[in-house]
Amino acid sequence: MFSRRERERYKRQMMLFGDEGQERLKKAHIFIAGAGGLGSPVALYLAVAGTGTITIVDMDVVDQTNLNRQILHFDRDIGRKKTTSAAEKLQEINPDITVNALDVKIDETNADDLVRDADGIVDAMDNYPTRYLLNAVAIAKNIPLFHGGIRGFYGQATTITPRITPCVKCMFPQPPLHEVFPVVGVTPGIIGTVQANEVIRYLLGSGELLTNRLFIWDGMQAHADEICVERNPACDACCGVTTKTMEGRRNDR
Amino acid sequence: MTVKIRFFAQFRELLGTDIITDVSSGMTFVALIQTIAKKNPAGYTAIFDENGAFREFVILMKNGKRIDITDAAKTPVVDGDDIAVFPPVAGG
Repeated sequence: MFSRRERERYKRQMMLFGDEGQERLKKAHIFIAGAGGLGSPVALYLAVAGTGTITIVDMDVVDQTNLNRQILHFDRDIGRKKTTSAAEKLQEINPDITVNALDVKIDETNADDLVRDADGIVDAMDNYPTRYLLNAVAIAKNIPLFHGGIRGFYGQATTITPRITPCVKCMFPQPPLHEVFPVVGVTPGIIGTVQANEVIRYLLGSGELLTNRLFIWDGMQAHADEICVERNPACDACCGVTTKTMEGRRNDR
Repeated sequence: MTVKIRFFAQFRELLGTDIITDVSSGMTFVALIQTIAKKNPAGYTAIFDENGAFREFVILMKNGKRIDITDAAKTPVVDGDDIAVFPPVAGG
């Protein structure tokens, strides 16, 4: 059921997917790991689309150097917790959703509990060790992981459906060297929006997801490529795990 | 015979992309990419370590299928191969 305000707010997208689609978004719970460059556009677009419950996790405070790309945070937020800043903006941009903002470091002791009953995990992290952790949780819970990564003008995105598609470890078994990476804000803007688009279509059950495909964005050439990717039968994260398929789960929604 | 090599992200900045080149029969992936990367020392060191082996995070694809970098030294390229070489990007 939708209030009059919700019907007005979502009117233009309910032209696309009707009450049923909007209800699917409203019932959904999406976990966003990171409230930074990628997490900002992902969270904003999922919020305005009416994703019923958004849990967003970050352990940092807003720094001036974040502000060229982390559009959830404003100049006045410098020094405040990113989660406080994010929750305020998301709740303001859409008061009809529930926002849980958790000021905590994701680690192996809490990742499973933090994700709880979420329908999907958005990887908006800036490091591979945490990505591997989210990857393991997604596999264990059999929920999709919407991967994104950026550097400079370049970005990559793919949607991982456990046991069906390659997982993060299949594709990237070794992390790149850690660095303070250069980045211009439009790059996470583009990749984060691709991730949010994946989440919305996964929840709606429509369209072709970025599964078994790595989307690669080259902002210098304004050119997008994609590379087919395959599971690694020897992957130590997802190999040998078989339960109900993601496609079955998606159809159940 | 000819093969096509596509570099991505910072490898592309350093070495270009969509490189179509003639290769001799039996040439391995390592030898091919080394030959091309040597045109720019910064590109070479981004991809290879001091022993001339692929850095462990480098992703190597042949015709859409991943090749383990440890196999790249013994895997020959063949006519028409479409090869992609890229680093995972880590930022968020």
